[in-house]
Parts: sequence; C-alpha cells; structure tokens
Amino acid sequence: MAEPVEFYEPRTIAEAVAVLASVPDACCLAGGQTLVAGMNMGPLFRPPALVSLQRIDELKGITQRPDGTVVVGAMVTHRTVAQSELFGGGLEVVREAAGCIAHPAIRTMGTIGGSICHADPAADYPAVLIATDATVVVTGPSGIREIPAAEFFVDFMTTSIEPDELVTAITFPPAPADAVSVYEKFTRASGDFATVSVALALSLRHGRCESVRIALGSCGPTPVRAAAAEQRLVQTSLDESDVQDAGRILCDAAAPMDDVRGTADYKLMLIPRLLGRTIQRAQERAVAWRVE
Amino acid sequence: MSQVSELGASMPRLEASAKATGVARYTADLAFPNMLHGAVLMSTSAHARIKSYDVSAARALPGVRAVMTGADIPRKRFGLMIADETALAIDKVRYIGEPVAAVAAIDRETALAAAELIQVEYEDLPGVFTPDEAMMPDAAIVHETFAAYPKNFDCIADGNAISIAQVLSGDPDEAWAEADVVVEGVYETQAQYHAYMEPVAAVADVDGLGRVTVWSSTQSVFRTQICIAEALDLPRAKVRSISPYVGGGFGGKSEPGVQIIAALLARETGRAVKVVLSRQEDMMMMRSRHPARIHLKTGARRDGTILVRTGSVVMDGGAYADDSPAAMHMVLHFLRGPYRVPHLRFDGRVLYTNKLRAAAFRGVGNAQATFACESQIDELARKLSLDPIDLRLRNVLQQGDSWLGKHPIGSASIGECLQRVRSESNWDARRAALAEAPTSKSGKRRGLGVSSVVYTCAYLSTSAIVRLLDDGTVTIATGAVDIGQGSDTAIAQMCAAALRLPVDSVNIVQADTDATPFNSGTNASRITYMLGQVIAQATDDIVSQLFPHAAELLECSVEDVELVPGGRVAIKGVKERFVSFADCSRRAHFKAGGPIIGRGSYVFRVEEPDTELTINKGMMSLAAIGTYVFGAQVVETEVDEVTGKVEVVEAWSAHDVGRAVNRQAVEGQIEGGLVQGIGFALMEELVWSDGQLTNPSFMDYKIPCSLDAPENIHAIVIENPEPTHPFGVKGIGEPPVIGIAPAVGNAVEHAVNVRVRQLPITSERVLRCLLDRGS
Repeated sequence: MAEPVEFYEPRTIAEAVAVLASVPDACCLAGGQTLVAGMNMGPLFRPPALVSLQRIDELKGITQRPDGTVVVGAMVTHRTVAQSELFGGGLEVVREAAGCIAHPAIRTMGTIGGSICHADPAADYPAVLIATDATVVVTGPSGIREIPAAEFFVDFMTTSIEPDELVTAITFPPAPADAVSVYEKFTRASGDFATVSVALALSLRHGRCESVRIALGSCGPTPVRAAAAEQRLVQTSLDESDVQDAGRILCDAAAPMDDVRGTADYKLMLIPRLLGRTIQRAQERAVAWRVE
Repeated sequence: MSQVSELGASMPRLEASAKATGVARYTADLAFPNMLHGAVLMSTSAHARIKSYDVSAARALPGVRAVMTGADIPRKRFGLMIADETALAIDKVRYIGEPVAAVAAIDRETALAAAELIQVEYEDLPGVFTPDEAMMPDAAIVHETFAAYPKNFDCIADGNAISIAQVLSGDPDEAWAEADVVVEGVYETQAQYHAYMEPVAAVADVDGLGRVTVWSSTQSVFRTQICIAEALDLPRAKVRSISPYVGGGFGGKSEPGVQIIAALLARETGRAVKVVLSRQEDMMMMRSRHPARIHLKTGARRDGTILVRTGSVVMDGGAYADDSPAAMHMVLHFLRGPYRVPHLRFDGRVLYTNKLRAAAFRGVGNAQATFACESQIDELARKLSLDPIDLRLRNVLQQGDSWLGKHPIGSASIGECLQRVRSESNWDARRAALAEAPTSKSGKRRGLGVSSVVYTCAYLSTSAIVRLLDDGTVTIATGAVDIGQGSDTAIAQMCAAALRLPVDSVNIVQADTDATPFNSGTNASRITYMLGQVIAQATDDIVSQLFPHAAELLECSVEDVELVPGGRVAIKGVKERFVSFADCSRRAHFKAGGPIIGRGSYVFRVEEPDTELTINKGMMSLAAIGTYVFGAQVVETEVDEVTGKVEVVEAWSAHDVGRAVNRQAVEGQIEGGLVQGIGFALMEELVWSDGQLTNPSFMDYKIPCSLDAPENIHAIVIENPEPTHPFGVKGIGEPPVIGIAPAVGNAVEHAVNVRVRQLPITSERVLRCLLDRGS
C-alpha cells in the first residue's frame, strides 16, 4: 500500500501557519492543478502531509483599497480574476493573463497563490506580477511580510518564502490613470504553457512613452526584466528601431532553454517580435481608451 | 425508440447516452473477486544485454503475489508479419520503455512500488536512434537473430532493415527524357502518438481448466487471441478474448498492449489480474506512426501531363517490426497518388532503431506518402504556373483506369471530389482574393491549399452470424470491435435495413472470440464495407429460411411472399395478409425446422498484380487490399508572419463514401479525422534524445483540442454506390486524416510563399523559412 498522506483542513490563516510550523515537510494544497497532477506521477512527488487551504475564507476574495490598490486573496481562482472588473488600464494585464491560463477546467480550480508559489517561469502570473510591480503578502510564525515580486521569484520553481510561511495575498499597486497594459502569450496549441510570453504596462502621453515595465515569461529561471530595455523606450515614440533595440536588450537579459515548446534560438527570435506586437496592442488600447 | 431504419438516415450512436453519462464500462472499470493489479517495469536502457535480475526485494514486499521477468516466460516470439516480439524482454532490451518485468499485487500502488524494487543489471550496447544510424555499415544490430524469425511475406532484408521493397511500372529511366519540367524534393514526416482517450488496459483470468480469458482495450479480439496463444504457447481454443467498450485505437491497439502480461500474471497467480497503463507508460511503451523520409521526383510535360515519378522512402520502424513492412509497402503503393503516371519506380526500406516501435496509424503509410505526393503536385503546379486543382484534374484517374498492377478501383470519383471542394470552397475566387489581400495589421496572411486523397477499404476477411429469436428480434454476432468510430450503429442499421426491422430490434453481440465469428480487426477503414457484405449474406440466409414458414402459415407458395417493414412477411402486394417474424420464428423454434440462423463469410480478393504492368519486389500480397476510396480536401490557413504560427481557419473535406449508412456518423468521422490531421500537420511529434522520449505527457505532447479546430469544417458526403457492395458502401475511417498535412503545407505556401517539407509545420520551422525567404 502507498504511504498514507496526512491531511489538514485549517479554517484560519493562523491555524494553517501553525500546522506548517509543526508538521515537517507539510505542503500547502491550493487548487491542486499542479500538485495533484504531480502526486499522480508517483510516490516521489507525494508530500507526507497536505494542508488544504480550501476552507480558509480569509484567503478568498478580491478587494480594492481606497488608494486603488487591488488585493487578491491567495485562494482566488484564475476564473475569478479573469472575470473581475477591478483590473483595468494598467492592471488589465492581470485579468488578461488569468483568462489564458490553460483550459476552463483548470482556471476554475487553479489559484493565484498556488500558481506563484510553484514559481514555474513558464506560468503566466510570475511575469505579470513583475510587470505590475506587485507585492506578495506572506504570513509566518513571526508575523506578516510583504515581499516585492522581484524578490519573490528567486530561481527555477523556487521562491523566497520559508517552509512555515503561507502566501495570503497579492497586492497590485494602482497604475497611473492613463496607463494601459497587455499580456501577449505565444503557445504551440491552445491551453499550453507559453513558449514565450510578454507582460507589459505602459503609460503614453501624446504618443510618447512616459513609463514602461516589461517582463518576459518562459525565458529563464525567473521572469526576465531589463531596466535598460525599459530605459531605451522611455521618452521615445516607440518606433520600430526603439522597439528593436529594447528587444535586443531583453534578449541579452534572457536565458531561455531548448525544450518541447521551442529551441532557445527560436525563443530569442520571438522576444523582439512579440515585444513589438505587445507594444502595438498597447498603443491600440491606449487609443481605444482615449476614444471611450 | 422504434424508428424503422433507413440506410443513410442520421441517428445517434446506439451507445452515445451510455458513454456520455459514464455508465459504459471500459476495461479499467471491470472488477472480479480477489482481483490483483499489475504493474510493468520499463527498460531504462535503449539497447542493452540483460545480465541479471534481482527480484527478491520486490517479492518480499507485503501484498505482492507475483513477480515475473523474461526468465519466467515462454521463449516464444509473436508478431503480425515478423515474429520478433516477446511480452517481456528476453536477453536484450531494445528501447527505453520496453517491458522488462511485471508484478501482480493486491493493489496498483503496491505493484508499482514492487516494480521499482526490481534490480536489472544491464550491459549497455551502442544504440541506433535514426534510420541513418541504423544503415551505417558498422551499426549496432538491433535483432541479431532476425534471419531466424518466422515471417509471413516474401521478406527482403539485411542489417537493421526490416523490409526492403520496390514497385516498378513502365520504364522510368527512359521517361525522364520526355519531361519538360522536373520537380524534386525530400519530404519528412514525424512520429505521431495515437493519443486514444483510453490508455491500454487488460484484465486476464484463468479457469480451473487452464483456459485464459482476457478482456481488453483492443481493435481486434482475434489478433489478441492469436498473440496471447502464440506468446503463451497455447492452442487458440485455450484463449478467449473479449472487448468491452474501447476508447479509441487509431491503429495503436491493432496489436497487443498489455494483454499478454496480464495473462502471464493471471496464470502465475491463479487470480484475475488487471493491468492499466498510465498515460506516460502508454506513450513510452506502446506505439507511434512511422517517421518517414521520402525523396520524390516527378516529371511532366509543359501542359501538366505527368509522365514519370520516382522515389525512395526510408522509414523508422523502432525496436520491433509490428506492421512496419505493411506500412512501408503502403507508402510505395500510394506514392503515385490518384493520377495516371505511366512510368514509376519507388524503393523503400524500413529499419529497426532503438526506439518505441512504430505501427499502423489511421492512414498507415498513406499519410506519409500523401504528404510527399500532394506537396510535390503543388510544387509542379507552381513551376508550370497552373492552378493546383486544374493540374490535378488533368492527371486524375478516370473510370476504367486501374491501380498499379491493374487493380480495379471501383468508382473513379477523384475528379468529382476535387470539383466539389473547388465549388464548395469557392476556390477560384477565394484563392485570388487571398493572394491579393494585404497582410493584416497584426502581421497575418491567409492562403488556400488542396490535397487529393485516395485510400482503400475491405482488407482481409470477416464473417457474421445472425440469429432470429423466437419473438422476431435478431441477434447479430460479427467479431467487429466498435472502437468509438460507430460501427455497432452502422451494423445495426444495415442489419435492420436488410430485414426491414426497426433498429432497436437488432441486438449486437460484444466482440468475443467464444461468441462471435472471425473478423480480422477494426483497421484499414474496412468494418462498414466488410460487415455490410456478410450482413447481406446472413440476412439473405435468414430470409430464405423464413419464407417457407411464412408460406406455410399464410397457406401460399414461397414465391408469393415478401418482406414488409416492421418484421413481417406478407403475401406479395397484399400487405394486410401477413405473418410476423415472431410467428415464423416460434414455428421454427417449436414446431418445424429448428431455430433460424443466418451466416455470412467474406474475403476480398482480386488478382495479384499483373507483372507485365507492375513488378512488386519484397512486398506483402496486395490481392486482398480492397476497393479504392477517393476524396479531396481544401483548407484555409492563416500564417502569423511575426511568429510563424499556422492556424487552419476553415476546411472542406469531400469523400465518396459509396453510400452513407448514417450520415451524421460519416460527418463525425470526417470532422474527427480532419482535426487529427491538423495535429499531424501542425503540432504533434514524439521527440527522443538518445533514445529517451522527452515528451511522454499531454503537458508536453500537444494534440489539437476544440479551440485549435477550425470553426467551420464542411463535411461533404459524395455517394456513388460501390458496385462491389450489396449496400453500395465504402470506408471513411481514415481518408479524412490523410490529405490535411499537404493541404496545410500548400496553403502555407499560397499564403506566404514558403514551402515546408518537414512535418509538423511548427511555428519555428515556418519562421525560419520566412526569414530565409526575406534574406
């Protein structure tokens, strides 16, 4: 017989943290879309104890603070994010990314907290959190920590949280009123992980770029951001040569690998091309937004 | 439900509700008292000698009831064309994933844990991972004892070659001189995974007499019976093979999956044993479509008349032969295409490599040949500045023409099929408009491409027994396995139509070697054609026994009665003077003559090729290949010039099915095959690295789903009743998959002016071509 798995169902964040602190190698079970599939692959992927977060109401729900910051509970499903009206303008990229994660069945079960804790660089949320300058809120035995997204993803499938800490929420700071954002995901087939993805948040004034944040998915062990690429675009009118230069800088910062979704070479070819398309879509969005 | 069947009527599948609501039972759903669960240990080495086993830790694990290795099984080899396989590796392993040992335990988890505890000591050998490596003079030999294996055809082979063959017609060497234009290219197709929804599964049990019964997911209960009997060294009579509902096969379940392993474990333990593979195990252990590299050259006159074609094909057969010779011979047989080509020569070889075995896959051999053939026809059209459909129509087979070696082709409707897709797709106007349209703002261009399709149906033999029950309903036993394609419904409709009964008066016996007569298998688009033949015979037989009873009861002469709808026999022209089937059958059952049983037996047979016309060297016999089926397909693709990604946005697929037994089911076959063809064209490919499969999961190996399928698939059913068939039907199982890949390649060229000769047409390949084109 297979080794039995201990199963906990805490009702509060405090209870969950207490279980994580006291049970060795306990693993959080959020939507289960990665963990359960892994467990089905064999005993190697089976943690000795599971802490289901399903019954913790504090982890559910999306709220907006008076300053415009959007707070998303860790157990909020992709489907809920994709349908939320709180993500517009500079945060539309969040909703857009959530709506293209895998297939409907997975979006109905999978959660934002589960996805970012898995820290798969091919997933959709990590690059989005970087592009939107989000913060990950975690609770541990010694209290609450707020970790900037850039410090949260530290390596391939590795985050900066401790084993006894729990991600409780993700906060997205308000974007400038005139900001637009776009998620561009390139896949081999519908529902696949990204071969390359681009998350972009952009502010334009009279066609010129006021500010921009760009993050790439599937192009290295963590989401790729290059300040120099963004600098290259600021105060330009985003002409082809500007975009090409920025794309080149991003390629230098990226470290894609050969895999079933494409060769590293191809991914490097895609980066500037998809960046161009992403910026074009953002510009179109800005125009449409102004017309409205 | 009591609709009187009409051939051609659309009706839902008989089992649709049972499948949709989850009550249909598949092999994995079966359970027996004290049943054990099996697990299979797969080879971790691509090519190695097995030095020793240590199974002590596995045997010692609580709950384990049996551990078996190649040392514990009969040294008997089996195989469809070449007997080169054993159920567990003996002496050597030849691919990563090959079954090496098997465990039966009280549950699947324990069996898997025990399998992990088995120690196998390997002495690694150099491996051959591509046909080119396999053909090297100093290549490692995958099967050293090949010469001694029994074979069922005139096999020519050497080294790692499984089969070497040639088709020759006319005088190709002389004919080149007549050609004004010549096109030449190398076309490559990939390993495609069958991706049936139900992974391979089997349950085996033994009775007190040593008789083995196996329930399994299979395309042929008889092939399963034969293979188990051969592997276990038992007479056929000691093996019973049954098929519950089957969740797809596509050719991958024609030959054994895990039935023999389940049977070995059941015999060892004396208990029922169930073996169900995980998706990953299935992908690593079972089969793929044959990768092929086809060098093809075609010569034509300036007006487009094709004069000569030569080609050579090299195929990757993987570690075991399975039906590799047939697959390669089918490439040679179909490389001409449905065209008049007076002079041709095709050479082929299929080779062993240290990879997953390749096998039949929907459109076996033909899909590879057609990719080369139909891509090249478009290249010829381009060179001659002719419309691709015009060029095809100039060369298509006409009524009265024959296939290689004077093989009759039935209705030569290829031209009609091309005309239909041309008109339905509005080809001329649409193609011109797309060519002139500017690239979209987001960088996308569209193109239209076409392919001809030719295939056969009616391979090998089959039989049926129809019994008239005492209440006037009938039970039909055919041995045909409905693997999801809908043959049970077609059988019921044909049987009901022949006897003028409602469809729900026909009971179909589950395929079972004890209960149903021989049928060679659900392959080669053959079931509807073949079963129609034997149903017509068996129901005629029923009628001939029924009428004398009716005549007695109606007090008239046998010549004066006829069938009328609803299970009745009436006096000719006097409908109201009738007796029911029940009246007649009760008389037969209890008064006179005995129960009424009808039988049918059929084998398709034509002459061996006329050697004056065509010389086949090293080929299996094609005398039972069946009659020919024609079709044509058009796709509109959209190419993203930014990324290279290709999407099929609309498709038209016209097929001459002779006569549709169930129109809705025919359309379903066309739609399903077409989408599988899109997977073959654009995304599906098993990839190995040094013999290790790198993408054995649906996370990494993508098949098209509903979002990848075009919204509009126009299934066009053409009906020219097949003259050799009592109901006029032909097969439709495979043709819809065959022409899609070349049609897509042709549409891509039309859209963006690049020719991709390697499948799948991935975004990366297209983008590289686009960049080369630009520079």
